[in-house]
Amino acid sequence: MTAIPKFGVGASALRKEDKRFIQGHGTYTADKNLDGQLYGYVVRSPYPAASFTFEDLDMAREADGVVAILTAEDVADLGAVPVFTGIKQPDGTRPTLRPAPVLCDGEVKYVGDAVAYVVAETLAQAQDAAEMIMIDWQEKDANAITARALDEDAPLVWDDAADNRAYLYQMGDREATAAAFDKADKVVSISFLNTRLASNYIEPRACLAEWNEAEGSFTLHTGSQGVHQMRDALAKKIFRMDGDKIRVVTSDVGGGFGTKMFMFREYPLTMVAAKKLGRPVKWVSDRTEHFMADSHGRDNVVEAAMALDKDGRFLAFKARLTAAMGAYMGQYGPNIPTGGITMSTGVYDIPSMDVTVDAVFTNTMSVDAYRGAGRPEAAYLIERLVDECAHETGIDRAEIRRRNFIRPEQFPYHTPGGRMYDVGEFDGHMTRALEKTDYAGFAARRAESEKNGKLRGYGFATYIEACAFAGSEEARLELTEDGEIILDIGTQTNGQGHETAYAQFIYDRIGIDFDKIIVRQGDTIHLPNGGGTGGSRSIPLGGVSVDAASEKLAEKMKKIAADELEAAPADIELVDGVARIVGTDRSMDYSALARAARDEADRKADADIAQDENTYPNGTHVCEIEIDRETGLIEVVNYSVVDDFGMTVNPTLLLGQVHGGIVQGMAQALAEEVVYEPEGQLTTASFMDYAMPRADGVPFFEFETRNVPSTTNKLGMKGAGEAGTIGACPAVMNAVVDALGHAKGIRHVEMPVTPLKVWQLLNG
Amino acid sequence: MSLSISLAINGRQHDVALNDPRVTLLDLLRERLDLPGTKKGCDRGQCGACTVLVDGRRINSCLALAASMDGAEITTIEGLAEGDELHPVQAAFIEHDAFQCGYCTPGQIMSAVGLIKEGMAGDDPERVRELMSGNICRCGAYQGITEAVLEAGRKAAENAQPQTGNPDTGKDAA
Repeated sequence: MTAIPKFGVGASALRKEDKRFIQGHGTYTADKNLDGQLYGYVVRSPYPAASFTFEDLDMAREADGVVAILTAEDVADLGAVPVFTGIKQPDGTRPTLRPAPVLCDGEVKYVGDAVAYVVAETLAQAQDAAEMIMIDWQEKDANAITARALDEDAPLVWDDAADNRAYLYQMGDREATAAAFDKADKVVSISFLNTRLASNYIEPRACLAEWNEAEGSFTLHTGSQGVHQMRDALAKKIFRMDGDKIRVVTSDVGGGFGTKMFMFREYPLTMVAAKKLGRPVKWVSDRTEHFMADSHGRDNVVEAAMALDKDGRFLAFKARLTAAMGAYMGQYGPNIPTGGITMSTGVYDIPSMDVTVDAVFTNTMSVDAYRGAGRPEAAYLIERLVDECAHETGIDRAEIRRRNFIRPEQFPYHTPGGRMYDVGEFDGHMTRALEKTDYAGFAARRAESEKNGKLRGYGFATYIEACAFAGSEEARLELTEDGEIILDIGTQTNGQGHETAYAQFIYDRIGIDFDKIIVRQGDTIHLPNGGGTGGSRSIPLGGVSVDAASEKLAEKMKKIAADELEAAPADIELVDGVARIVGTDRSMDYSALARAARDEADRKADADIAQDENTYPNGTHVCEIEIDRETGLIEVVNYSVVDDFGMTVNPTLLLGQVHGGIVQGMAQALAEEVVYEPEGQLTTASFMDYAMPRADGVPFFEFETRNVPSTTNKLGMKGAGEAGTIGACPAVMNAVVDALGHAKGIRHVEMPVTPLKVWQLLNG
Repeated sequence: MSLSISLAINGRQHDVALNDPRVTLLDLLRERLDLPGTKKGCDRGQCGACTVLVDGRRINSCLALAASMDGAEITTIEGLAEGDELHPVQAAFIEHDAFQCGYCTPGQIMSAVGLIKEGMAGDDPERVRELMSGNICRCGAYQGITEAVLEAGRKAAENAQPQTGNPDTGKDAA
């Protein structure tokens, strides 16, 4: 095997973005300021459901520093926060879209719903004035509990949405599934909640808006996961204006996790204020606002069952999800549960399925994409169910999986959820992971723990996820006369290290100094269109286009050099920043080469390579825990992953994605939960009451890849942004149930498994 | 009414007139002195993104009133490197890939510098984790952070002159 060049694909190249980040030189949205800027502050509902009128706005309007107060009438001409969905109900109808208005007009539906926007010279003045606004609230009954939403006596979130149902959705073959259940030797059922989570990027959302009167155009600076989607939502859905008149700029982003994809109402509010007042306006969310007003993740109530034959073979699967939408539908919210269920048969060969989704309204913030977006829910469902199948049949957990895995010779494999898996060696990574973590020796380790008064559990999950949804991501390259290469691409790094990963593809084709590769994302002015970052698509889709564009540019550069050096293009090599005739010392540097181009087009190249199916990364997570009987505290004593990502671009970046994903999945299992009181008050609105994973609860992880290249794209890549989260949650919960089941016969515990919960189970 | 304070930030003396007694040290740095490297994550002392050193000790700058900082010596992330030469903790953070989005990183690094100075963690990963747990990293880079702090701590110990005092208590050794 030849060595990987230091900056090429496959190398652990250190990140190009690191130096600015570790010196405090990153530029996040809140770090930007413009001359003469004003500050916006959103007045929010303290009630989960109420009608309201403004009793007095004048006192606030006259307060020090206040320049404007916007209410619903000021934004009456704007469209609502968009909802994008193509869901069809079983009767063929489309669900009624129920989007959030930019500002509420006389009625609020959740704690944090926006009723007014105060603009002042300073933030403190805006906040002070907000407290002077007198509002007459008429409280109504509200419900925040997903499981209760469909009850006959549940308060209605929308008067005209009977039963609080947002939509009904069915997938699979009902008859075949029912027939399989009828003839089954065994049926194993589970029911559980998939808890509600908050994204909690440490950089709260923020925006800074400018209006250019002469050009009739906006500039919006905001953290996003893709400026083009943001621009299009604003232009087409909110302002109904020419997209060219809205420039969206995203600089460094302090974590996105899906949530920063969306066009939240504070952005048009801030833009309208900037236009009205002729001065830039800045809005920065605080942490409590984040909990109230940034979309949440998960929140499903699940009942599921598996039909098995006498040998423990899975015959059919069925599930019913009650999925919270929030009070309003999120931008992609309706598609999260319906997308997730397509993956609910996991890595198993299950002939048929029957899944129903009841999407419901509750008086809560919208639920939308959060790291994994439906796929963690699917993996948690199937992997908990399979462990229960093992328990109920008495077949070993690994053995029952082996009997039911989709076998390598079955690929390409069409799932009952309508997916087409291209490749996979599920038994391969499971076997390796179990060997690595000494599954066989677990009983001895458990006995040792028990001697020390502790419970011990071993759990694992063999997950699969769908990444890189069909489509493409255009890459444009330009060799500048300074000898630099600029890449324009419409994905958006939120910390993943795109600058580095894309540069590696370019370096491979055009041996250029790593520092001379400039990756530009996050400005609609540089690139007309882009797909953004989400669903682990940036590297599988973007990387393929960057590679193809680099190949084209390399060909053009060789042609120019060949002309200049009087050689054949085939004899030119591009290495170390020069084009050289192979085997000679005759060369020219890239700056001279760019200047020699007859036409600008000769030093530019682009590619937009489409992929028509998803990619399917998969793997096995193993988690081993100890539980302290006295305190109920769970300690993760071993965590090991064997993943199939198809191909590795940068092992260091990959490890970061996997580690971070595990921490988020583990934290859902053990710590995090957004809690609304049943009547709708939000009780987790700071880091004091929403438990975040911190350094002291996170062990060192063992990680290795066992890559089987994807056949869906040329480079074999599968995507890795969400995989850690998807595998971790069921692996940790299977370990917890293993420990508690062995000690107490407990077969189910709801997330998050806090020390209090464990202590109560052990001592209750 | 304004209140005048004088403080040293990253070795440079600043005389500041505060027109509002509510201004925190964090807002003073970010909004008034053009030092946005220190980050605001929660404004309540619960995430650690705003950690700076005050007279060598790490604190949450969002919980400190600027008015109480008269005469203080403050170090922020911008003042850590010596010219082009990174502080060993910064170098270790790069080496161990101890961050992704970079937003909590200034706070993590300042906290690590403070921790190493406190000398309480030694070479024990458990202690490092515990004593770094005031700094949340949502990207979940805790493994890299722990490794980076351990390495920087080891290097600091190797380079340290024989100690004559106890950094924990400030008291002279017997």
